[in-house]
Parts: sequence; structure tokens; C-alpha cells
Amino acid sequence: MNPLALVGRIAQLLPVLLGVSVIVFVMMALTPGDPVEIMLSGQQVTPEQVQAMRHDMGLDRPPLERFAVFLGNALTGDFGLSFFHRRPVVDVIAERLPATIELTLAALLIAIAISIPLGVAAAVHKNRLLDRLAAVGSLFGISLPGFWFGIILIILFAVHMQVLPVSGRMDYACEVAPFTRLMTIDSLLRGRPDCLADALSHLILPALTLALPMAAVLTRVQRAAMLEVLRSDYIVFAQAKGISRRRVLWRHALKNALVPTVTVAAIETGSLLGGNMVVETVFGWPGLGRLVVESIFVRNYPLVQAAVLFYAVTYVFLNFFADLLYTMLNPRVRL
Amino acid sequence: MLRKALTATALMITVALPAHLTASELRVGFTLDALTLDPGNHRNRDTETIIRNIYDGLLTRDSKMKVVPELAESWTQVDPVTYDFRIRSGVIFHDGSLMTADDIVFTFERLTKDGALGGQTSPRKDLVGPVASITRVDDRTVRFTLKEPWPILPAMLPVQEVISKAFAEKVGSQGLATQANGTGPFKLVEWRKGDTVIMERHDAYYGGATDISPVGKACVDRVIFRAIPENASRVAALLAGEVDIINELPPYDMKKVEANGNTRVMKVNGTRTFFVALNNGKKPFDDPRVRKAANMAIDKALIIDRILLGTAAPLNGVMSPDAFGFNPDLPAYKFDVEAAKKLLAEAGYPNGVDVTLDAEGPFKDVVGAIAAMLTKAGIRAKVNVSEASTLQAKWAATGEKTGDMWFTSWGNGSLDPADIFVPTLRSGGRGNRAFYSNKEVDGLLDSANVELDQAKRADLYKKAQAIVNSEAPWIFMWLPQDLYGVSKRVSGWEPSADSRINSSRYLREVIGPAS
Repeated sequence: MNPLALVGRIAQLLPVLLGVSVIVFVMMALTPGDPVEIMLSGQQVTPEQVQAMRHDMGLDRPPLERFAVFLGNALTGDFGLSFFHRRPVVDVIAERLPATIELTLAALLIAIAISIPLGVAAAVHKNRLLDRLAAVGSLFGISLPGFWFGIILIILFAVHMQVLPVSGRMDYACEVAPFTRLMTIDSLLRGRPDCLADALSHLILPALTLALPMAAVLTRVQRAAMLEVLRSDYIVFAQAKGISRRRVLWRHALKNALVPTVTVAAIETGSLLGGNMVVETVFGWPGLGRLVVESIFVRNYPLVQAAVLFYAVTYVFLNFFADLLYTMLNPRVRL
Repeated sequence: MLRKALTATALMITVALPAHLTASELRVGFTLDALTLDPGNHRNRDTETIIRNIYDGLLTRDSKMKVVPELAESWTQVDPVTYDFRIRSGVIFHDGSLMTADDIVFTFERLTKDGALGGQTSPRKDLVGPVASITRVDDRTVRFTLKEPWPILPAMLPVQEVISKAFAEKVGSQGLATQANGTGPFKLVEWRKGDTVIMERHDAYYGGATDISPVGKACVDRVIFRAIPENASRVAALLAGEVDIINELPPYDMKKVEANGNTRVMKVNGTRTFFVALNNGKKPFDDPRVRKAANMAIDKALIIDRILLGTAAPLNGVMSPDAFGFNPDLPAYKFDVEAAKKLLAEAGYPNGVDVTLDAEGPFKDVVGAIAAMLTKAGIRAKVNVSEASTLQAKWAATGEKTGDMWFTSWGNGSLDPADIFVPTLRSGGRGNRAFYSNKEVDGLLDSANVELDQAKRADLYKKAQAIVNSEAPWIFMWLPQDLYGVSKRVSGWEPSADSRINSSRYLREVIGPAS
């Protein structure tokens, strides 16, 4: 890999971030509603206090100046105080981020574990029963509203069978000293199998809820890519050479057929990181998505701006990561 | 078969779950996590409900909502602007230090002085009122001097909690946001942000307010507040036995909770008044006849029974029946479509009027019914569902005043008219959504604000309520009840109108083994 590629990517990041900052700022500024009004609504307050709070939050300055201040501070890594938590935005986001990452990784793993074998199998058994089942299953997975599916899982496993917890990330009885702040990994590192089991039991339902729609999409992509590869000359050639079918499939065909899957998986992972607020809310998962949605509702500008910037950075890097994977899967691809 | 297989799979995953249910503990499934643990740096009732278990206040309320001393032993009003609080002795903070009058002075100066929170001003400043100074008279006495009479000071003090001066100076305002050192019945063990607040019993607790029995240490070893924002999941957690109490039980889930053998529904009158603000400054609702017609057009009893499933008390005015100075003699506007049409015609609208009814998404059903009823009486209401912040901007006292009707509400945690009547109906009040203005009402409210004789003060508010009732600036609606789902494992606990979940009180020796 060309080290310049990485530098190039980082350079590309700057206009993206600037553009995203402008858009978020303008959108938040244009949305009606005022954080101070929302915070104080219906309670004892004097105009002087409203004014003082607006001043503390910097809302008494003209929008252009506010944006300039925000940009200037952001360059130094200072995203200000969250209006409602009254603590640095960076701290609040950092507290919630590991939960979201853990959930996203778990969902990604489940989705890949389901979709790649299923997609390959569906391509190999094209138009036969397995393929049809996979198609119906994918349609089902794509159409399932996460909210509804999550609730159904809760009612089934937590209320009726009482084998899995309804919500949360880990039982309060489990205290594991933080290291990566991913509960499963930390439990493992600290040698606490009881806590690992507990963390997994909390993780499985939300991860499954997130993973199924993603698996559905990836299965379709994997199947299509595999079909295309299987039709190509080098596969026919490999088969003609007498290489075993299994070897042709998994060594020769899959590697190339993975390229589109990786792209889609990277994009889906990006949207999982930013877009799993519904699942986080249903399962009381203390992640970033829920925090951001709550913050949008109360016009917590600093937090929303910082979080959206973070999403933009993640997106760019995930795509870069996908590109890196291409070069490994297919050496003809150069960055 | 499938169920068996699924059970088996899931069992394998959960087999190593820790056995944690040995100590007596109370687990609360709560709509929100605390925003901060700093009692002086938020304006959020749910946050207060959580941290009020860790921090005690100078005063508190009993289950009937009467204000009683807590960290204070007693208080006296020396003159209209001076209050003396006698402080209890022997109160111990969680870190073992003794609470003194200096801690009280520090707490309230931090709340009321500009810039006292690391350069910022406490958002709770105005909840303490027009304070001029807070001084230590002697070891056991703290004096509040106000700039002007503010009769609700004692009613507002239960929402302020006392912090330790030494601790606050040590950790700073940033530290207080995540660490706690209170005098309350429970001390903080761990705060998993966005998820859980874990507390355990403070064994050196002084026992709490003497007027609320039983006095003494908390009877449960631990209290856990778990944030479960989604209604369906919160109910599921109660039904599954994962939590013992849930707040904000949705009315449509009452049957489910009652049908379950281990849980029940508990209700308490809330403190939030719901009403439809009518724009008194603009046609057609500038005419009292049209406003009265609107009141007559609504079959309140039907809406409460069918849509709210019986979980609200109808109102004929602004105040809760539990509030100070409530006037029980206000006449109700009787549901009468024909009389409403007649009034409308008298006001010069024989063919009815076309208006817009604003409301937030969660109230869609209710507002749909209201609009249909209004339309039948000739007030053809078009429903406009929007977000709270958008509507607040549209109806701001300083705004363009273009709206017709707004289904909205006003909270009255202090249960004192000064906290709801004045902001919502006095001329120019910041919550005066109806843009109502009546000199006589203003005069009565202003006199009540400085009246020290509580009986006379109540009379002034009663008169003002009668005028407002007859002029109908709003369509008077109802006071919703707060619904809680409670495990039968918990007995003796009662929900309270201030929506606190005081885990120490009412729970003495009542927690049975976990199911």
C-alpha cells in the first residue's frame, strides 16, 4: 500500500468535515426551538436567568460568530459543554461510544457469519429450494422494522421464557474494571466468565435485531457477486483443470466475490454506528445513537455537532478500511 | 418444540448469570438516566428523582404533599422577607464528615450567586427565588433574606439538596457532576452513564424527616435506578421481574400489569395541568362567548374514560385539587353542543369558525377527539401535530401570536398557585400561552404574592380562580394521574404527586425475597 494514499485520505477528510460542520450547524440553527426554553419550560424562571443561561451557552452571540467559535475550538479538540449534562461533550460521547461500538461489532459479526455462507450457498444452488428460502428470508429481514422485532424478541425471551434480560448492558452485580470498555472483552481480559456470560446475554438480542436486516442485505449482495464470479472464465478454467469444487468455491471464487460485500458491509457498519438509536432505545442500550437522538430533541447543539462530525470521520475511515481490504482480496486493485 | 429448543439455546447463554438477588434491594425501571449527579446543575425532574435518594434537602414533603422539615429542624418566618432555619445536629455526610450551617450557606450561595458553578450560574437559581443573602446566624441557624416577599420559598426548598462545602471545594463543579457525597439515605456506589445508578444504604443516616414515619435508616440494602426509555421494554422488565417499580406506565398497559400475578398498577394525581390555550388576543377567541362555547363543546368525561382509560381528574380551572388555595366551588362547563352553537351564533359566528388546533405527537389521539367534538359544535378545528420546541416557538409570549388553539400543559411541582397561576395567566407571564390579560386577576395574584396570612392568601387565589373560570381563557381539561407498575414483592411503597421515588421511605421491612 502506498503510504501517500493514507495521507490523501486524511486530506480528503478536511473538506468533508468542514462541509458536514456547516450543514449540521445550519440545520440546527434553522430548526425552531431553543434549548434554554426547553430546559426551563414550565418552571419558575425570570428573564434575567434566561438571559444568563443563554450567555453561558453562548447563544446570545450571532450565528456566524457561534460557528466561528465552534470551528476554532473544534480544531483544538474542544467541543464545549453539553447544555444538558453540563459536562464536556467529548466526555459524554466517550462514555457512550464503547457501548455502541460493542453492539455494532457484535451485529457485524453475526451478519457476516450468516450472510457469507448463505449468499454463497444460494448462488451455488441457484433457483433451488435453498436459494428461494434465502430470498424469502432476506426479504423478511430487510422488511422487519427493528423496533417491532426487538419488542417481539423481548416478549419471547425475556418475559415468557425469562432466559435473557430485557435491557441494559450488564448486570449491576458485575463489576469489571474497565480496559477496552467493551464489556465482553473486558470480562474476558479480567478472567470473569460469569460477567462475560452476563454481558453476552445482554448483547445477543439487540445485536441480533441489528444484524438481521444487515445480514439480509449482505446475503443478497454476496449471492449476486458470487453468481457473477462463478460465470467468469478463470473459474471455468479452474474447474477444467480439475481443482476440487470446494477449493474453487472457497479459494478462487469467494475471494473475488467478497469485494462488493466488503463495500456494502463498510457502509452498513457506518450506518449502524450512527443509526441504531431505535434498537438502543428499545433495549435500553446506553449507546451513542440514543444520546444523539435525545440531544436533537432538546436542541443540545454542541453534542449533536460533535457527534455528527464523529460519524463523518468514522464513515470516511470505514470506507478507507474497505479499500484496504480490496487490495488484500484483489492485488490488482491499487490505492 | 421450537420453544423448547430456543429455551435451551438461551439457557446455555445465561447459565452463568451471577446470583445477585440475595441482598434486599429495590430496582427501579426509570424513563431516563440522570443527566448529572450535581444537585445544583440541572433543571430536570427525573434527574432530581434519582439524586434525591442520595441527597437530602433542608425541607421535604410528606405523602400528602405538606412541606415538612428534613435537614432543618424547624423554620420561622421573621418578617415578610426573612426566614430562619434551625439546622439539625449530628447529620453525617457519606464521607463521614459532619454537616454544619456552613454547608447549608455554601449550598444555597452556589445556587444563587452568578458564576458560582465554575464560572457558570446554576440553572436552578430562580427556584430559590429573589434571594438577597444567605447567612449563618449561629452554629445551628441559617437566615434567608429575600429582596421581595416570595411566599413560596418553603414550598420550593424541597427541590434543593444540600451538598458538602469541603467536598465541593475538593472536587469542583466538574467533579460533582459524576461523584456524590450527600446526607441522604443512600450513597452512590457506581454510575454507569446512560444505564444504571447503583446506590447502597448509608448506615450513618440520621433518619430523615421526623414528621414522616417511620424514621430511621433505609430498609433496603441497595437501590438501583435503571434507564429503560422505551415504554414497552420498561413494562416487559417489570413483567419479567427484572425491576420492582416502573414509572410512566402507559395507560394501555394497565390491564397487562394487573393481569400478571406478580405486579399491580398504582396511581397518584400528578401536578401537571392540561388545557387548550385559546388565543385571547385574536379572533375568534377574543370573544369570551366563543371560548365558553369551546368549553361546552367538549365531552371531557368521555375522553377521560375512553382515551385516557380513566387516568385523569377533570378540572374546571387552573389548579390541582391537591394544591394550596384550590377553589372547589368552580362551576363546570356542561357538555352541551346546542348551547355551544347558540353562543357561537350570538358572538356573530352563526356558520361556525375555522381554526387550527396545535398539539404534540404523543397527544394525537386526545387532540383528534377534541377536534371532532369542537367541529360538531361549529368550531371546525384542524389538527396540526408538531414538535414541542416548534410549538413553543410559535406560541412564545414574545412571538407573533398567530396560533388559534394549543393543547398543552403546565407543571406545578410546588403545588402552589404562585408556580402555575402567575406564569400562565398573569398578564405577560412567560407561560401565558393564551395571551390572557385581566387587570383584576393580575391585582389578586400580586396581592397574594405578598400576603403572609396563609388563609387570606388562599382566598385571593380562590377569587382569581372564579374569574378565570367565568372568562374561560382556556378549555379546561384535566390533571393526569401518574401511573406506576409495582411488583407485589414491594409493599408499603406509595407513589407521590411530586413523582419522587423515595426508596428509603415507605419501604421498611417490606421487601420480600426476589421472585
